[in-house]
Order: sequence, then structure tokens, then C-alpha cells
Amino acid sequence: MEVFLQQLINGVTLGSIYGLIAIGYTMVFGIIGMVNFAHGDVFMVSAFIALIAFLILTAWLSVSSVVVAVFIVLIVAMLFTSIVNWAIERFAYRPLRGSFRLAPLISAIGMSIVLSNFVQVAQGPRNKSLPPLTRGEIVLMNSAGYPVTLGYTQIIIWVVTALLLVAFWYVVSRTSLGRAQRACEQDQKMAALLGIDVDRTIAITFIIGAALAAVAGTMYVVYYGVISFADGFTPGVKAFTAAVLGGIGSLPGAVVGGLLIGLVETFWSAYFTTDYKDVAAFSILAITLIFMPQGLLGRPDVEKV
Amino acid sequence: MAYVNPPRPRRHARAAMLTLCAGACAAAAMISMTELAHADVSLGVLIPSSGKGAAYGIQQQNAIDMFMEKYSDLGAAGKLKLDIYDTRGENPEAINLTRKLMGGDVVAIVGPQFSGEAEVSFPLAVRGEVPIVTPMAAKPGIANANQPWAFRYALTSENVYGPLLDAWVKHQSKPIKTVVVLMDGKDAVSANDGKNVFPSVLKAHGLQILDTITFQTGDIDYSAQVTRAKALNPDGIVISALYNEAAHVAVELRKQGMTQPIVAGVGINHPKFIELGGDAVEGAMAGFDFFVDDPKPAVASWAADFEKRFKAQPSNAAAEMYDTLYLMRDCIISTGITGKDIAADRVKMRDCWANMKNKSAPLMGTTSIEKGDAVRSPVVLEVKGGRFSVAQ
Repeated sequence: MEVFLQQLINGVTLGSIYGLIAIGYTMVFGIIGMVNFAHGDVFMVSAFIALIAFLILTAWLSVSSVVVAVFIVLIVAMLFTSIVNWAIERFAYRPLRGSFRLAPLISAIGMSIVLSNFVQVAQGPRNKSLPPLTRGEIVLMNSAGYPVTLGYTQIIIWVVTALLLVAFWYVVSRTSLGRAQRACEQDQKMAALLGIDVDRTIAITFIIGAALAAVAGTMYVVYYGVISFADGFTPGVKAFTAAVLGGIGSLPGAVVGGLLIGLVETFWSAYFTTDYKDVAAFSILAITLIFMPQGLLGRPDVEKV
Repeated sequence: MAYVNPPRPRRHARAAMLTLCAGACAAAAMISMTELAHADVSLGVLIPSSGKGAAYGIQQQNAIDMFMEKYSDLGAAGKLKLDIYDTRGENPEAINLTRKLMGGDVVAIVGPQFSGEAEVSFPLAVRGEVPIVTPMAAKPGIANANQPWAFRYALTSENVYGPLLDAWVKHQSKPIKTVVVLMDGKDAVSANDGKNVFPSVLKAHGLQILDTITFQTGDIDYSAQVTRAKALNPDGIVISALYNEAAHVAVELRKQGMTQPIVAGVGINHPKFIELGGDAVEGAMAGFDFFVDDPKPAVASWAADFEKRFKAQPSNAAAEMYDTLYLMRDCIISTGITGKDIAADRVKMRDCWANMKNKSAPLMGTTSIEKGDAVRSPVVLEVKGGRFSVAQ
């Protein structure tokens, strides 16, 4: 039971990180119907920005408070990653918006390669590490000599994921920006005719997606203490899977999908051989989509004729 | 109306063409005479400059630069030329590049570096009758299976782990009776060591394996595997992985409060293991045939020069590359390889490696080749104060 609980904590933490990245995928898809394959690499870039900011704060500016350091790093990472993603949208996606359907998809794959290679050249191909910021933990129970623990960084990741989910659900469903986003999702031409600045709405969506990727990147660096130029791919693919599993376009669905993928991976690694953990995760995706093509929390597509 | 001579462009053009042709002929004659005097000898080199083993590849490129500055002159045979390619640590790329080099004028191929790559490249080199020597791949049997053209300079893991476990067991204040093996199931040598080599050596030492838990190259989260190991409460931990994954596993072990002593496979021999692992890898033990703090003068001066130039400690991979190139050069000079008759030169190089007995290289001492594999004595090392040092 103790081991099961500990694995549950591990799985929820991993799933939360996938969920944070998946929200970015799902927001962009929800509005312009495009899979932003560069999102995983935007997440990787944000993790590098966070790492550099951490090193500047702790080594050069001698900031000793972990809370202050994490807060400043989050702001810096969100700011710079937003600029990167805004630039990607402005120069790589917007000119192709009226083009054939595959053009922005190819452009996104190209941007993914550009970001990955840029970081490889600028930061080197080696892994970059960050010393652990905190090793504090809470012992939840301790029976039969096996303590079930919850680390401070795990608590931070859970809380941040939950808060951001609520905040962005509120933005999308209760604010004028959210209304504009939903209008663009339904019909961009009609939205423009009704006075919505479509370009601006889409740009803001990309900025929000980048800010979420930056939060995920910062949490990733804080929790795992390492990042490399190649780390955009695997978490990006897993997060995309999570977004599809949860129902692409649905914010709660992205987090639920992320949690499911994280839990399946963790429990499979814990009780079976890890050689097949990705097979297990993607099999669940396939089975779910066969019976629920819209995903767990997605809305079914209705085509009016 | 005065008559003006028209310009004569054709005459000027003809003169210019004649001058150019004469110059080109003279240059060609000079080049061919130089070639006759010094037909350079080429070696192909395959390293992972990017991808999963980039840290190895970068170190090896640095070692190559140092080697070429000192030893590129072959005397009567001219200059040593290296055709260096990046395999990215990927088997398909290693196959493509081995084929490319086989079709060229290289006398031998140095590489590839990973066991998986070597397993797919060696048979090609055997079919193409090109000597191929991996400086680094450590999986047992891969050179032996591809005789008479394939060789390795690295020690095989089965030659290392016996002395290593002797020292590790004796080193601990608390007796070790049970272990958990954590291994990378995707990396060829780590998987083989975790499944076959470590279990047989552990059994010979009377140690019980409670569980063998796998992860994969490139994984980011090891918490599930470590929690599973923690539940078994072993006396010691065996990690069979490359430096990157091994360091992350060690960090996760310590993060989850596991303080058991760690012994690791040959894949961790890189300073990056200590940089990534930090305090978590302090006390971890492994067996290698090169370490940066070796007091031998040749090693000490080379390591100091390397560290000064590249701002990083040299790894086993760098030293193995340096020594392999040194022995290649030695074979070229001693067997009279000239680079003019590639097929004959390849046979000479093959025979030189096949018959190597107690041949001395600058960094790892004397080496003999038996059934394609290098034979030397390993040193058992321990991470102490952020550096590898001889285990006391």
C-alpha cells in the first residue's frame, strides 16, 4: 500500500508536468485548429531560459531565498518564452494562415527543428544541470519502515498546475478575451466581421501558451535539475498525446490526459518492465480514441449541412 | 574619317587561356610530384559529436586535435589524414558512414564508439575487408564475432567487473548481501551488462539480486523505478547505464532517501557523471583503465594539457581515442603502410592489430590483442571530492 501511494505521488507529479505542456497544445488547437509541433521545443527553450535565470540569480546575484528565486525565474521565463512564441506565430504561422492545410503544420515542424538546433549550437549538446534547490519533504505516513513522502517541489508542481488550470479555464469561459477566443475557434471570418481582432486574439493565445510552457519548463528544471536541447521532443510528444487523450481543445481534458499518461507510465514502470511503458501509454490512447474519438472531455464535432 | 584599330579581345583571351593552361599543368605536375614523394595515409574516424553521446564525441574530438598536432607526421609515408564523421550515436548513421568510408581511400576505420553501432558496423567492415577498431565499445563478444577485421581498444566489461566487485564489497563497512540492478534497457552495452555480465559476476561473489529494474536512454523520470527499488531495501545498488542516465538515477536514489552504496558499469566513465550527479554520486565506484588523476607522468601531463586547453577533465573516451590513434600511427610506420595500395595497406593494418603484443601507448600502458579484444588491467575508482580517484 505504501509503495502504491508513493507511486501515485510520482505519477501525479509527472502527469502534472505533461498536463502543463498539454494545455499549450490544446489552446492553440482549440482556436486555430493547428497542431503546434514546435510547442515541445518552446517548452525546452523556456527550461533553458529558467536554468540560465536560476544560475544568474543564485551564482551572480546571490539570491538565497528559493521562493524569491523561483518567482523571479518564472516571470523571466514567461516573458522571454512569450516573446519567442509571439515571434514564431508572427513570422512562421500567420503568413501561412490562408494557405493550404498542411503548410502551417510543416512550418511548425520546421520551427521545432530550428529551435532544437539553435539551442544545440548556442548551449552545446550536453545536458545542463542545476543543483537541487530544495530537498525538503513531508512524510505522509511511515509504516513497516517505508516512509511515503511528498517533496516540496512536488507540492509546488501540483499547486501550480491546479491554479493555472482554474485561472485559464476562467479566462477562456468568463472573460472577453475568452469569448473572442471561442468566437475565433468557431468561425474566424464571422468573428472578424463582428469586430474581433482575430490576429491579436491568436497572438495572445500563443503568448498564453508560451507562458504555460515556461511554467512547465521552470517546474521541470526545478524538479529534475537537468535539461538538454533534445528534451523538447519526448515531453512534447507525451503532452500532445495527453491533449488528444483528454480531448484536444479542452483545458481540463489536457490536464486529465496528462495525469493519465503520467500515471500509466509510472505504474507500468513500477510493476512491469519499462521496455513497454510507452507501448502501454499509447495503447491506452488508441483504445480510448476508438471508443471516444473526441477524447475523454472533448466535444464531438458536429458538421451542419 | 580616321581609321581606328578595333580592339582585339580574342587575341587577349587566347593569351590568357594559354597562360592559365600552362599554370594549371605546372601546378598539376608539382602536386603529382609531391604526391609521389608523400602519399598521405587516411584513416576514417566515427564519433558521436551530437546526440546521446555528444559528451563523449566532443571529448574525443579534443583528443584527436591534440593527437594530430603532435603525431600527424608519418615521416616517409607523408601526413596522417583523418576523415571524421558524426554518427550521432545512431546505428543507421553508423552503417551509412561505415559504407561511405569503406568505399574511400581509408586504410582503417577508428570507431564507431557505442556497442550498438559497432554491432551493426563491424560485419560491414568484415565484408568490405577494412580493419575497424572501436576505441570505446565495451560489450563482450562484438570484436570476436567479426574476426579477422574487427578490434577494440576498450576493455570488455566482463574483464572489469570482477576486480571492481571484489573492491566494492571489501570497501563497505556494512556487509553487502543483496543488490538491486538498475539498468538502461535501450543502450546495448548497459543492457547486456545488466542482464548478463553483472548477474554472473554478482553470483560469483555470493550476492543476491533482488530485482532488475529497467529504464531507457533519454528517460526523464526515474521516480517509479527508484520507488520500486526502495521497497526492496537492498544492501547495495548496481547501475548499468551511460553517464547521463546513471547520474540521474543516482540523484533520484538520494532524493528518495536511499543511501545504499552504488557500484556502476563502464558507461559512467565521464567527468559529466560527477557534474550531473553532484553529491549524489559521491562514493560511487567503477572500474576503468584510465583516470584523470593517475600520477604517471605521461598521463598527468596529458591530462593537465587537456584540461588547460578545453576547460574540462579528459574522460576515458578521450584517452581511448588518443591511444587508438597512437597505435594506428605506430602500425602505419612499423608495417610500411604508404597509402598507395589501399587493399595491401588494409591487410597490413589488420595483421598489425591482430598480432599486437604488449604494445605501449601513452595513456593506458601496454596492450595485447586476444581474439580482437584488448587485454589490460583495470583500476578500481571511487568518486571522492568530486573527482574519480583510486579506491583505497
